[in-house]
Amino acid sequence: MILTDVLGSDVVDNSGQRLGEVSDVRFAVDASPGQLLSKARMVGIVVSPRTASSFLGYERRGITQPWPVAQLLRWRHRGSFLVLWEDIAVIGPREVVLRPGFTAYESTLAF
Amino acid sequence: MSKAKRIHPLKIRPAPRPAGLVLDAQLHLLDRQMLDVDGVPVSTVDDVELSGPEPDERIPEGAEAPVISALLTGPVLGTRIFGGRPPSSRLIRIPWSVVAGVDTVVKLGVRSDSLDASWVERWLRHHVIPRIPGGRHDPH
Repeated sequence: MILTDVLGSDVVDNSGQRLGEVSDVRFAVDASPGQLLSKARMVGIVVSPRTASSFLGYERRGITQPWPVAQLLRWRHRGSFLVLWEDIAVIGPREVVLRPGFTAYESTLAF
Repeated sequence: MSKAKRIHPLKIRPAPRPAGLVLDAQLHLLDRQMLDVDGVPVSTVDDVELSGPEPDERIPEGAEAPVISALLTGPVLGTRIFGGRPPSSRLIRIPWSVVAGVDTVVKLGVRSDSLDASWVERWLRHHVIPRIPGGRHDPH
């Protein structure tokens, strides 16, 4: 699977109701760092209800400067959430279908 | 495109924090410069290849999460402007197993000469640069 095929896909729940678009895919490198990085497993997808484009991740990080830009981008991505891999039923270039009773998590990164 | 159903903010829970390094593909990987072990620029990350699942195939419950198998680079300028993406065969793979770190740049743990991604540079070095007067020796 190629990542950019998934970015921008519509995200729907199991009843077909549209929830937004895939704005990013989150990975975690769990094992302790060595000379080379260990496997990066997919944690989940970041869903944005309005736009798939993300500019510098203002909405996911604690960046507040320049203030008007930070406010605008945070407002544009309001309602973004993270869906874990376990809650994804189908993933494809046209749409991503979530499992019934999926859980929405905050999409912010630790900062 | 229909309007998206809104998830009530109170239903959005705090996310579990993985212990290790967390990477958001768009933020931390795509379009980043790749440097080899000597700090020589190799290319940029144009796309990422994941192991399974097949697109549009139902994922069985409890299936293992996909992992990044390779970083991809290739001729993407045209498709960025006009849409779509180049066929997979035109993209050059840099296996994730040679990635040493992700920061403002993606650091690789091998020399660029060992990677397919630098073939254009190698070809120019062997076929074009030697034909330029003074191109066969170090500058004085």
